[in-house]
Amino acid sequence: MTAPPLRLPDALTALRNQLAAAHLGLATPDRDAAHRAARAVSDQIDDYLLPRLRDLDAPLLTVVGGSTGAGKSTLVNSLVGDQVTTAGVLRPTTRGPVLVCARADVAAFSGDRVLPGLPRVTGSAGGPGTVQLVARDDVPAGLALLDAPDVDSVVESNRQLAGQLLAAADLWVFVTTAARYADAVPWDLLRTAQERGTALAVVLDRVPGEAVAEVAADLSGMLERAGLSAARLFVIEERPLTQGRLPEDQVGPLRDWLHGLAADQEARAAVVRQTLTGALDSLEHRVLDVGAAMDAQEAAARSLHAAATAAYDGARAGVDEGVRSGTLLRGEVLARWQEFVGTGEWMRALQGQVSRFRDRVVSAVTGRPTPAVDLQGALESSVERLLRAEADRAAERTVTTWRSLPGGADLVAGAERELEQSSPDFPEAAAAQVRDWQGAVLDLVRDQGADKRSTARFLSWGINGAGAVVMVAVFAQTGGLTGGEVAVAGGTTAVGQRVLEAVFGDAAVRSLAARAREDLEARADALLRYEQDRFDVLVDAAVPAPTSAEALRTAVLELAAARRAAA
Amino acid sequence: MSRRNLPLADRLGALREAVEVAEGRLEVPEVGQARALLAKAGARAALGDATVVALAGATGSGKSTLFNALSGAEVSTPGVRRPTTGVAHATVWGADGADGLLDWLEVPRRHRHDPEPALDGLVLLDLPDHDSIRIEHRLEVDRLVALVDVLVWVLDPEKYADAAVHDRYLAPLAGHAGVVLVVLNQIDRLDAAAAAQCLADLRGLLDREGLGAAPLLAVSARTGTGVVELRGELARRVTARKAASDRLTADVRGAAAALRAHCAVTDDGALGRGQRADLVEHLGDALADAAGVPAVTSAVERSAMRDGVARTGWPLVRWIRRLRPDPLERLHLGDERARTSLPPAGPAELAGVTTAVRRTRDVVGEGLPQAWRDDLRRTVEVSEAALADRLDGVVAGTDLGPDRVPLWQRAAGGLQWLLALVALAGAVWLLTLVVLGFFRLDDVVPLPRVEGVPLPTLLVIGGLLAGVLLAVVARPLVRLRSRRRARAAERRLRAAVDAVADADVLAPMAAVREDAARFRDAVERAGR
Repeated sequence: MTAPPLRLPDALTALRNQLAAAHLGLATPDRDAAHRAARAVSDQIDDYLLPRLRDLDAPLLTVVGGSTGAGKSTLVNSLVGDQVTTAGVLRPTTRGPVLVCARADVAAFSGDRVLPGLPRVTGSAGGPGTVQLVARDDVPAGLALLDAPDVDSVVESNRQLAGQLLAAADLWVFVTTAARYADAVPWDLLRTAQERGTALAVVLDRVPGEAVAEVAADLSGMLERAGLSAARLFVIEERPLTQGRLPEDQVGPLRDWLHGLAADQEARAAVVRQTLTGALDSLEHRVLDVGAAMDAQEAAARSLHAAATAAYDGARAGVDEGVRSGTLLRGEVLARWQEFVGTGEWMRALQGQVSRFRDRVVSAVTGRPTPAVDLQGALESSVERLLRAEADRAAERTVTTWRSLPGGADLVAGAERELEQSSPDFPEAAAAQVRDWQGAVLDLVRDQGADKRSTARFLSWGINGAGAVVMVAVFAQTGGLTGGEVAVAGGTTAVGQRVLEAVFGDAAVRSLAARAREDLEARADALLRYEQDRFDVLVDAAVPAPTSAEALRTAVLELAAARRAAA
Repeated sequence: MSRRNLPLADRLGALREAVEVAEGRLEVPEVGQARALLAKAGARAALGDATVVALAGATGSGKSTLFNALSGAEVSTPGVRRPTTGVAHATVWGADGADGLLDWLEVPRRHRHDPEPALDGLVLLDLPDHDSIRIEHRLEVDRLVALVDVLVWVLDPEKYADAAVHDRYLAPLAGHAGVVLVVLNQIDRLDAAAAAQCLADLRGLLDREGLGAAPLLAVSARTGTGVVELRGELARRVTARKAASDRLTADVRGAAAALRAHCAVTDDGALGRGQRADLVEHLGDALADAAGVPAVTSAVERSAMRDGVARTGWPLVRWIRRLRPDPLERLHLGDERARTSLPPAGPAELAGVTTAVRRTRDVVGEGLPQAWRDDLRRTVEVSEAALADRLDGVVAGTDLGPDRVPLWQRAAGGLQWLLALVALAGAVWLLTLVVLGFFRLDDVVPLPRVEGVPLPTLLVIGGLLAGVLLAVVARPLVRLRSRRRARAAERRLRAAVDAVADADVLAPMAAVREDAARFRDAVERAGR
């Protein structure tokens, strides 16, 4: 027999590494299935394919698997002819798998050649998570029996371990009973065996003597319909046990068949080849299913990103609209302008004192406290207010949309309250940005005004005042002011703009305003992008790396190429 | 009254109330399940107090054999092929055929047992298996498991620890331990020691699943061991005639437990008076800005100023003021059905409203679970959409306060006229003197002097000066008065806006909160 081509194990290792790196963090509907599939494939590569490819002549690993209570342990004891594994009436009986092999083969199983994840123990039963290794002289070399835990009991770890052991087997001896042979769970496994082309023998245990013919015929019909007619069927009647073992005439045929396999190099190689080829054949669609799940994750991530982007684009449009429409004037900006052009500082201060005095007198007379001033509201400028409302709205819209998207609900679960509003430091950041912007506008005016002849006129107002005029112009320049509004609110602005135009010239005011507005919009954009990042980071942390699905498919193609080269 | 004995009708009433409160508010599947349960309870109550017992179990566990042993006849055919039973069978004890009940259960195969006093009123069902490759069997089991009164789970030594029965059926029935019986069949296949071990293991498994109260019986349908005990257990439940209500009680408690995930954790349903006032004030601030209250207030002030100055100003120039339009009239207030000419709220004001409404919503939603907060959000969206028109109408319809002309302004106005007349008289006098002087009739009109100054000159200059002085002195008073009037208008507007904030924004939110509290109370009562 020729040595296996080196490239096949390498291709498998590469595939296993790709699967191990597959990160499926979004709760899409097929996520859990894909997770299990990825785990099963990489386990099978480690536990079975790599060891088997490294040594095609290694002893045949026969896994005795099946339902709880089907009598697997009793069967193994009877086959070996000694008490090697514990049988009993309590279910599930076997928790730690037991591997029985010839002394000559101990070396093949004691290392981490097969099942590297499960440490070996010898002597007493190992318990869950280990494999108990039993060396026997009466077991023929070239064949090992593994008593696996059940596939369907309440103990979940048993079910997982059984699946892993079956995937590592060269040959399945699948044990079922007259009461169970139509159960759904074992049939799912048999169907898996059929899909993977695993070599299979079925043992129908615990058949009442009078029903042997009928039940056996029924089961072989079912196996045929499932495409498993190649599987050998052994029937064992239910008889009283002698010393915990089945009567010799019942287990004889099975033992002879197994010993025959052990003795016949050709037949053994055929079994190994069948299972190996089947396993390799099955890899492609199993891995592609994982790849499809990764695609689904990416698609889900895209729609989550799109939802967040749509919400924050809406916020940007809202800010833009607010700045352009000129109506922001009617907030603090107008107040600043009026302060500058209309009522002087001195008058304002006097009024303030008079009203404070009045409040104090009123509260002294009536005993009512003077109304508390909402500092927050007073300090917050209208631009800040707009930014914050839009950021809040976008956050809430994103959370609401996400909760209806696949994978989105899990991402925000538990953090809805923090996520559906702007981040805690947003008001502060927004205030800082607005202050910076105001400073930048003043700088703009100073730069623009420096080489103007009318600098002197500026000085009479102070740059501050001119800056306020520009700010007002920013909001009003688009001509959003009409009729009544001018009368009520914008009257002074029109004046302000006219004054400004007289100083700078019409074109200069327009360009000044445009630059100031662009600056504000850029700042708002940066603030909102920071907010949006909170959501994008969540998605990015959960989805597989953008190229990993492609890498997985490449690994599959390379595996196919390696197999062609090896053939 | 012990907690177990709360009448079923009360529990169902409470559950119905919870479902009704949740109607249109909560979008969670548990409400639909509770509604389905109410429908089932109504249907079951109308079908009498017979006891429906179902034998459920895995394929090959010997359900059919046990069913025949209990029925005393070969009603269901046991077989060696798997799966066997595909449809449910029924055996009815007693004179009343229970046909209505079986029609409701959709069990067509019926067998009438001879009357037997201890078991009269028993309807025994043999269910299909739940774990074979035939999925339709499992669906039939799922359907009937939800409907019957007492469940007898038939297990056997081979399969008693199968995940298929424990994870899918027994563990979810933890709250139904009172209406579940577990039978370990085929006990004849084990020797006495093994049987005891097996029963202890199964007992432990059931206890861990929360079925500690469910009796566990060792039975062999083939040899008859334990069948008498099982029959006795069934007879006890049949004669008690409360299996149906026990089952429904357990169902209602289960539904209530599921709904409890959507119950508020806080105790207070209604908002406190102070809390509510705070919220209204905060909302009112934002809404007043959005409604244009500052604009109206300032228009009122300027209008009052304009009128006051026109009234108390110097008569010869006061008419110039009249040429300017009244700022208040330009807003077209006064008719709450017509749209005012107030400018629509700008983005900053709308942002303020949104933020204030959100803050209110967060305060109101404090302690509510997600499903209720979702409803709160939907409620707020509805009320916020209609807010702009509502506010405009309210501002238009608000009485801005009496527009009486103050007495002192009338007096000052009169005085101004008087002073003007004095000046005019002086002027006429002087003019007369000039004319007479032209005609050399100097002494016809006397020319008294005051302190050496001719009286007519004094009248003219004094009248004019006094008029100007009066206008100047009156102006701050007029300003003071217009401010007061503006403040009065603002107070009235604020009161109107606050009323809107309370009725249109806060009240729907508070209603959600109260409903959440009612819901929680009802769920508590149903699940006690």
